Amino acid sequence: MNPEQARKVIFEVLGDIAPEVDESAVDDDLDLTEQLDLDSMDYLNWMVGINEMTGVDIPQRDVSKFLTIAGAVAYLVEHSTEPVG
Amino acid sequence: MIDFLLPSLGADMDRAKLNMWLVGPGDPVHKGQIVAEVETEKAVLEVECWDEGVIEELLVQPGPEWLPVGTPMARIRSVEPAEAPRSPETPAAPSQKPLPARPPTRRPREVAPPVRHLAHELGVDLSTLIGTGPEGTITRQDVHAAASPLVTPATPTPPRAEPRVKASPRARFLADSLGVDLARVSASGPGGMIRAYDVESAPPAAPEPEDKVTAMRRAIARSMSHSKREIPHYYLATHIDLDEAMRWLELQNAERSISKRILPAALLLKATALGLREIPELNGHWIDDGFRPSPSIHLGVAVSIREGGLVAPAIHDADQLDLDEMMERLRDLVNRARSWRLRSSEMSDPTITVTNLGDRGVETAFPVIIPPQVAMVGFGKVVDTVVAVDGSPSIHPVVHATLAGDHRVTDGHRGGLFLATIDRLLQEPESL
Repeated sequence: MNPEQARKVIFEVLGDIAPEVDESAVDDDLDLTEQLDLDSMDYLNWMVGINEMTGVDIPQRDVSKFLTIAGAVAYLVEHSTEPVG
Repeated sequence: MIDFLLPSLGADMDRAKLNMWLVGPGDPVHKGQIVAEVETEKAVLEVECWDEGVIEELLVQPGPEWLPVGTPMARIRSVEPAEAPRSPETPAAPSQKPLPARPPTRRPREVAPPVRHLAHELGVDLSTLIGTGPEGTITRQDVHAAASPLVTPATPTPPRAEPRVKASPRARFLADSLGVDLARVSASGPGGMIRAYDVESAPPAAPEPEDKVTAMRRAIARSMSHSKREIPHYYLATHIDLDEAMRWLELQNAERSISKRILPAALLLKATALGLREIPELNGHWIDDGFRPSPSIHLGVAVSIREGGLVAPAIHDADQLDLDEMMERLRDLVNRARSWRLRSSEMSDPTITVTNLGDRGVETAFPVIIPPQVAMVGFGKVVDTVVAVDGSPSIHPVVHATLAGDHRVTDGHRGGLFLATIDRLLQEPESL
C-alpha cells in the first residue's frame, strides 16, 4: 500500500464516523481525537474500520501510532502486505 | 384480544409518529419482537411488542400524525389456551399487559381547566408536557416551565399543510427519513401513488439536520428543567485509583484483536452495575411521590450526538453481562444512538444513568439526574496522578467518580457507600 492508498482508506473510514470532516482542513501531525472531537468509541471504531478494510492488525501496543493521520499512514504503509482491494 | 399500545418512549417523550409496521395482519408475534418503527423528537425507535399472539388488525397507519403514548396501535389475538378463570380476589385485569418499567403515568388529557386555559394563553402544547403532579397530571408549574424562555417557544411541529399525497407507507417512511418532500415526487404507482422507488430516485432536497437537533434540544430542555425544578440533588465525588484495573485491562487487550478490544468505559459501567446490587436505593424511579426500586439494573448511558444533543439509552440487565458482552452492547448502543436508531425499551426504562465525560478531557462531571430516575453517576478523565502508596509517592492512573443523588430517596451516606463500593470493585478487575 502506498501513502495515497493508505490516506484514502483512513479518510473513507473517518467519513463514516465524522461525516462533516473536511479532509483538507485536517492537520496530519496533530492529535486526531482533539482535532476532530472523537471520543474513545469513535477512535476504536475508526481503527476497527481500517483493520477491516486493509487487513492490517493493530495490536494494543501500536494504538498510539494512530493518534495522527501521519502516524496512521506510515503504519499502514509499513504493515500492509496486500494491495487494497 | 389484546390491544397493543404505543409504549412509553422515555421520560421526556410522550408522542411519536408511526414510520412503518414490520408486521401485518395474520403475522404471529412474540415477546420482545420488533414490530414497528416510530419516530420521536429525539430518535427513530424500533418498538417491541411484549405480548404473544397473532396480529388481528393494525389500528393506525404510518403517517405524519403525532400519536400520544398509549394509543392503541394494533389488536393482537392471544394464542394462549382458553382464558383461565380468574381467582375472585384478583380484580378483572384489563386485557392490556402493563408496559415494561415505565416513567410516571402521563395522561395528557387529564388537565384541570384552569391549567388548560393557562397553557392556551401561553401557547404551550399540553401534549408535549410531562406532568409532575399526582399521577402525572400536568400542573400550572409544568405549563409555566414549558413556556419559560429556556425552552424554545412551544411551537410543536406544525401540522403538515400540504394536501395529503398518495404514497405507499414505505415511500412515506423513506421520504421522511431522506427529507424528500412527497409533493415534489412524481408518482409511478397505480392511481398516481408514489412508490418507494419514486422517492429514492427523486432529486435530493436540502437535508434538514437542524430540525432533529432542535427537537432534541427542546426535549432535553424539558427534561432537565423538570429535574432541576423538582429533584433536590446532592453531589458526591471521590478519586478512584485505577492502577490495578488499567494494568489488568492492558493485559487483556494485548491478546485481543482490535475489534474485540475492551475500553475502560466498559469496566466502569460494570462496576457501577454491580455496585447497584449492593445499594439498590439508587436504582429505580420516583413516581407518584414515592420511590419505586427496580428489580433489574438497566444502565442508561449518556451518548453525545455529533450534530449536537444527547441521548441516554439503556443497557439492559447490565449487572449480568460479562465484560465482553458489556463492551459489545456499549458499542452497539453508541453506534445506533449516533445513527438515530434506538429501540423503544432502551429509551423508556433506564433505572440509573452513567455519563462518561472523560473522553472530552473533563476531570469531574456533576450530572443532572434524568427524571424519573433518582441518581446519576459521572466519570471523568483517567489522569496520571501522584498518589501515596505505602507512604511513598507513586504515579497511578486515577479517575474522578461523582454521584448526583435524589435527596428524597437517599442521603449522602448511602451515596458515599455506593462510590466506595464502585472503588472496591474496580480494585479487583478480574472479578468484574
